[in-house]
Amino acid sequence: MPTDGAAERRRRRWRLAGRYLLMSMLALIVLFPLYITVVNSLLRPDQIAARPPALFPSDPQWGAYKDAWTTGHMGRYLLNSAIVTTGIVIGQVTLAVLAAYAFAFLEFPGRGVLFVVFLMTMMVPFEVVFFTNYQTIADLGLLNTYGGLILPFLATGFGTFLLRQAFLTVPHDLRDAAALDGYGHFRFLWHVVVPLARPTVAALSVFAFLSAWGQYLWPLVATNDERVRTVQVGLRQLRDTGLDHINVTFAGVVLASIPLFILLLVFQRQLVRGLTAGAVKG
Amino acid sequence: MTVRAPSRRAKDALLGYALVLPSLLLFGVFVIYPFVKNFWLALHRTPPFPGLPQKYVGLDQVGDVLSSSEFQKSLRITVLFVLYTVPTGIVLGLLLAVLAHRQMKGSGVYRTIFSSTVATSVAAASVIFFTLLNPQVGLLTYWLGRSGEIGVLDDPKTALVAVSVVTIWQNLGLSFILMSAGLQGVPDDLYEAAAVDGANARQRFWHVTLPMLSPTIFFAAVVGSIMAFQAFGQIDILTQGGPNDSTNVLVYSIYRDVFRFGNDGVAAVKAIALFVIVLILTVVQLRFAERRVTYAR
Amino acid sequence: MAAVLAALAVSLVPVGATPAGAAAAVKCPVDALDKAKGKPVEIVMWHSMPRASEETLQKLTDQFNASQGDVQVKLLNTTSYNDTFTKYRAGLGSGDLPDVVQIQDTSLQGMIDSQSVVPIGACVKADKYDTSDIIPRALDYWTVADTLYGMPFNVSNPVLYYNKKAFQKAGLDPNKPPTTLDELRSASQKLVDTGTTKFGYSIKLDPWYLEHWLAKSGKAYVNNGNGREKRATAVTFDNKTGREIFAWLDGMVDDKLAINTGPPAGNIDNLLAIGAGNAAMTIDTSGNLGSILQVLGSGQFPDVEIGVAPMPGPVGKGGVLVGGAALYIPKASSPEKQAAAWKYIKYLLEPSSQAQWSVGTGYVPLRKSALDDPTLKAAWAATPEYKVAYDQLLNGVNNVATAGPVIGPYTEVRDVVVNALTQMLTQGQDPKAALTSAADKSNQEIESYNARVGG
Repeated sequence: MPTDGAAERRRRRWRLAGRYLLMSMLALIVLFPLYITVVNSLLRPDQIAARPPALFPSDPQWGAYKDAWTTGHMGRYLLNSAIVTTGIVIGQVTLAVLAAYAFAFLEFPGRGVLFVVFLMTMMVPFEVVFFTNYQTIADLGLLNTYGGLILPFLATGFGTFLLRQAFLTVPHDLRDAAALDGYGHFRFLWHVVVPLARPTVAALSVFAFLSAWGQYLWPLVATNDERVRTVQVGLRQLRDTGLDHINVTFAGVVLASIPLFILLLVFQRQLVRGLTAGAVKG
Repeated sequence: MTVRAPSRRAKDALLGYALVLPSLLLFGVFVIYPFVKNFWLALHRTPPFPGLPQKYVGLDQVGDVLSSSEFQKSLRITVLFVLYTVPTGIVLGLLLAVLAHRQMKGSGVYRTIFSSTVATSVAAASVIFFTLLNPQVGLLTYWLGRSGEIGVLDDPKTALVAVSVVTIWQNLGLSFILMSAGLQGVPDDLYEAAAVDGANARQRFWHVTLPMLSPTIFFAAVVGSIMAFQAFGQIDILTQGGPNDSTNVLVYSIYRDVFRFGNDGVAAVKAIALFVIVLILTVVQLRFAERRVTYAR
Repeated sequence: MAAVLAALAVSLVPVGATPAGAAAAVKCPVDALDKAKGKPVEIVMWHSMPRASEETLQKLTDQFNASQGDVQVKLLNTTSYNDTFTKYRAGLGSGDLPDVVQIQDTSLQGMIDSQSVVPIGACVKADKYDTSDIIPRALDYWTVADTLYGMPFNVSNPVLYYNKKAFQKAGLDPNKPPTTLDELRSASQKLVDTGTTKFGYSIKLDPWYLEHWLAKSGKAYVNNGNGREKRATAVTFDNKTGREIFAWLDGMVDDKLAINTGPPAGNIDNLLAIGAGNAAMTIDTSGNLGSILQVLGSGQFPDVEIGVAPMPGPVGKGGVLVGGAALYIPKASSPEKQAAAWKYIKYLLEPSSQAQWSVGTGYVPLRKSALDDPTLKAAWAATPEYKVAYDQLLNGVNNVATAGPVIGPYTEVRDVVVNALTQMLTQGQDPKAALTSAADKSNQEIESYNARVGG
């Protein structure tokens, strides 16, 4: 081993360079559509149509963003998505915390059966029931309302399951100590359980945020009024009207993606935990 | 004590019910009721308009739908879509994860780039590619040398592949994150032991990494397949089920039956079929997870 | 002129009753507005007009709202004809319905079967409204079993859009665009041979190629008097003319004279093809004229000067079909709102409104006296393109074929035809086989729809 040290080191350097090269090429491929989107959002329509195509905005035009925000209604759509997503996340976490507390710390007849019911709801994909839910929401007069967009998603079997797991790890002596100190259920929940389960709550929140923000099918069928339209369906609108001003369409896409990018950067750790919840350990 | 305890237990029980009730109610309305209604719808011929009579037809409609070429084609397309997107997504995610796993200078940047598509929604990715693939003005069309020719999304021979590529790209971030998390879980001493035994990098990969990663891969495959069976957004934006139904996946077919043709009965039959498929996949996943956990112990 | 039109109207094939029901018994309460307590009565109209058309509709509505205090109309854009129909159908179950709804031509049988509207004919009768100035062919399209169900509002038909600059470059006369399929083909050949454009013609894969070209040949699309004598039970397009139409399209694509730009549904690739210099001609609806001028003038396409001409097609004893959409009044609205809706509809059909509407959008003015409107006259003198659809509508024989097909599952049949065209043009299926398969599948759809309706 010591005899071919130099050769070994050279080989290792070549392997490293090769690795960097491969990774860079892959990174380029992955990043390219996003890159082109940003570039095109800053070009003028005639520049976009030019062949060969411009790959860098030498004279960036920010007007497309204004157009997308106002005429393209992206500003309104982002607000709607924010309202609906926040509603769903807060609602889901709240309901899941409450139900998980009941399953983890309270005894009541039928608890096992009810928990199984919660679990079974995870087996029914939304796509299997969405059209009847559409009729239900329509009959309730909740089409084209925030309520109609939020209500069907407030209860979550997955969230309850996850939080119950986390709650069950609260050590018994903590429970007993709390009982001895005269803690009622809500104080116990709020001051002991939730803080202990904070990573799981955070993970669930991020997961809920991601899936609520990206919802497409339900907002598509439950709304057709642009005043409550969410960002994802708004993107479809842009697609419909966008081929003669691609810069505006792409500006809209960028605007629609900014919130998620911020989320990715700031909450990377919780994001990973939320996405892999249940995956790695099995 | 004996006087207070029962009432406290009763209060706890009541509280338990109360805490569970809101969720149960919502489940009842938005999960259980529509699930059961599917069966009723499947057994009745839906009139084109509300107000006209619903006719009970027993299993005729179920038989008609399941044997129809449209449903079978839709099922085939969906399975194809799953086969195109899930294995490819896993392999690519694994490749990226393995490459970026090593602690090298700048690997953090690469990791962020590789996970970046998790921040794009299905709709955003679809609008981007819809524009890039436009036959007249699209950039990708130009680079594929197909400018002015029939669009990739207008040709039944290429539409499903194109939709799959968009899906794979959009899922890459998630796949990368999953595989990376899995890699983290492989203990270093296993690698060291293998290295001591004289295994080179490739052997270490096949005999240490891959087996240890198999639960993660399995999870990704099953969950990925379930999600792929439920695909809708990208089809709605890119091709609307066409051309000539070549991208008419199951959920899109259901959506069309309800919202384009007003035929809820037919949609319900398909929805039940979708449920059965997802159920089978879920059961497979649970069974495997059970067995794997005991194995790991 | 009026006498000739009256004679033509009388010569139309008399239609019998449809089995779907006693729509004639529904009354239109035109007097309810006078008795209304809370004025102005607010009503909602659902429409799916895009871009320039939406702006013009809003303008007309604002004028109406400002001109009187009895009725205030609010517009709701429900995105597309299909979305509007879906929303309407859902609303029939949930009660969320508008007071005026714009529904496309093809949903006529559907609207009849829904038994959910006050037939406009009832309002005409109750109000003694004079319809003699309205273009008879438009009224006739929406009349089945002697009942006028919807008030035609935005009528259009397909026209030829072509790039005059490309014609000049290729040595074609920009003032003599093709009128027959043969001329369309030879013009394409010239454009391709001279290298002016990649293809001569861009085909938006619309199902109405078959519909309009059969009508131009004087052939009906479905049986039972094109669905107007009795409910249609089968299609009739699997004949020599249908095969010629399919074969022509197939030949153009095979010989690389035309490019298939895909099924409709928001697709403007056929127009973009002209803009990008990949084609010089396309057929599209005249209703898009305003938007087309907007799109192709957006700065992305400098080499284009758009000309508009009548739709080329097979020669025969026929003409183009009436297309577009009509306004319906749902029964579910209160009498005051129904009366308010009727008042609004009458306003939209006034000659000056129709003149403004036509100038802003390219839709055909439905009042003959609108032609005397100075704005319209000036607009048509300046941009004669807008007149093409109107002339096309009035020229042409009135017979069973040109009355237009009435089909319950029109959407399903159209999807079948588009799929057959796709299969023929992209998957190499032979035109005769494609047409027959389209006919078979269409008949299946019609059978199953009729079963669902008839019970």
